[in-house]
Amino acid sequence: MSEKDEHGQGGFLPKKVYQIDPKTLGIIWDDDKECSYPVKLLREKCPCANCIDEWSGENKIVPGSIPDSIKPIKFNSVGRYAIQFYWSDGHDTGLYTYDLLRRLGE
Amino acid sequence: MSSDALREEIIKVLKTVKDPDLNRDIVSLGFVKNMEFDGNNVKFDVELTTPACPVKEQLKNECETKVQAVEGIGSVGVNMTAVVRSTDRDQPVLPGVKNIIAVASGKGGVGKSTVAANLALALQVTGAAVGLMDADIYGPSVPQMLGVPIAPPKGGPDNKIYPIEKHGIKLISAAFLAKEGQPLMLRGPMLGGIIQQFLQNVDWGELDYLVIDLPPGTGDVQMTLTQRAPISGAVVVTTPQEVSLIDAEKGVKMFFQVKVPVLGIVENMSYFVCDGCDKKHYIFKNGGGKSMAEKLNVPFINDIPLIPNVAECGDAGNPIVVADPDSPASKAYKELAGKVAAQLSINQAKEDKVETSFEVAWEG
Repeated sequence: MSEKDEHGQGGFLPKKVYQIDPKTLGIIWDDDKECSYPVKLLREKCPCANCIDEWSGENKIVPGSIPDSIKPIKFNSVGRYAIQFYWSDGHDTGLYTYDLLRRLGE
Repeated sequence: MSSDALREEIIKVLKTVKDPDLNRDIVSLGFVKNMEFDGNNVKFDVELTTPACPVKEQLKNECETKVQAVEGIGSVGVNMTAVVRSTDRDQPVLPGVKNIIAVASGKGGVGKSTVAANLALALQVTGAAVGLMDADIYGPSVPQMLGVPIAPPKGGPDNKIYPIEKHGIKLISAAFLAKEGQPLMLRGPMLGGIIQQFLQNVDWGELDYLVIDLPPGTGDVQMTLTQRAPISGAVVVTTPQEVSLIDAEKGVKMFFQVKVPVLGIVENMSYFVCDGCDKKHYIFKNGGGKSMAEKLNVPFINDIPLIPNVAECGDAGNPIVVADPDSPASKAYKELAGKVAAQLSINQAKEDKVETSFEVAWEG
């Protein structure tokens, strides 16, 4: 496989996206790297325009405001580049690109 | 020699015939099918992944020559067929469409719609089932180019819309949504709604390729399509000038970001061959598309010449690929179709393992 460059053609894509346990999401990438993501961390890292200020890039989620009980109701792929989560607090506007998820997993 | 022994020998020589795009032999690719013997005479099918395969004749000749050289063989009949593979087997949007090709440009006026229409027709003449979605909301020009009158398409139950058929391809256009000559003046959310309708409500039937003519730029329509439709690959059209190349590069990078494979860059209006001499006149500049492709590490597909007849044919509703199949422009479009189809097959061969479409309920 050729060199991966998220700013060029390619970048990492998931082979498998799955639930590991009630609090953890797992992704197996196409280079066979396996990453696990605590769902609370994913919610705190929501990249949507409500959670990240569009101009300053500042995270607007107040630290500690996301409850430990947070979990996705469901998630689905968006196009070929991202995952959308429907959270138990009603939030669903974040599109988590594979580039972002890969960075969070490093 | 018995036919079993002959079969063994034939398979052995066919294992030396390579598909140059997939870089594997045609036996292990599973292309050789329906081998039948009649005494010492043999016939078989070679089933390619696209009827637009640019090396179809070359492969056929190679099979014939090599099998003919097998000792004890009588006559050899090689029948070339094709079954187009589907890029996303499990996706819910446009389930009957095997491959979706987006034709995009950064800048307007580079001949994107002309390229899209002629690409669709060039794929169709190889025998593929082809649809064309004119998603250029602000300047839908494909009906004019194909000679289709502007009228609301036929509807059916469950809000179904039936595409118009012309020159052997199925067409749906944003032009059908407004009265002829009237502009569609729409803000973002409405645009998304129209694209969603084109994806959900149009009854395309079974298609090998759906070509989507995008509006220029990197806006709402492009974003909605890349989020909602599983686009198999994109072709980015540019002209040789720097002002066009700068925008085309942004178009390419948009597809990088949304992980749509860029099948290649096409340089339109590349050169002019006058009828007085055979010299190629590079009116604007030379080689910009190619060097951009090299810089961004994407395939450069080809140059398409600037020929007045291309515009005349488009205006008359009879695109050049149909009107004058032997013109240099038509040949360039056929080459484009072959390379696009081949690149899709190459991508499918390596992409099989990636999960592209899923919806999962969380448990616990």
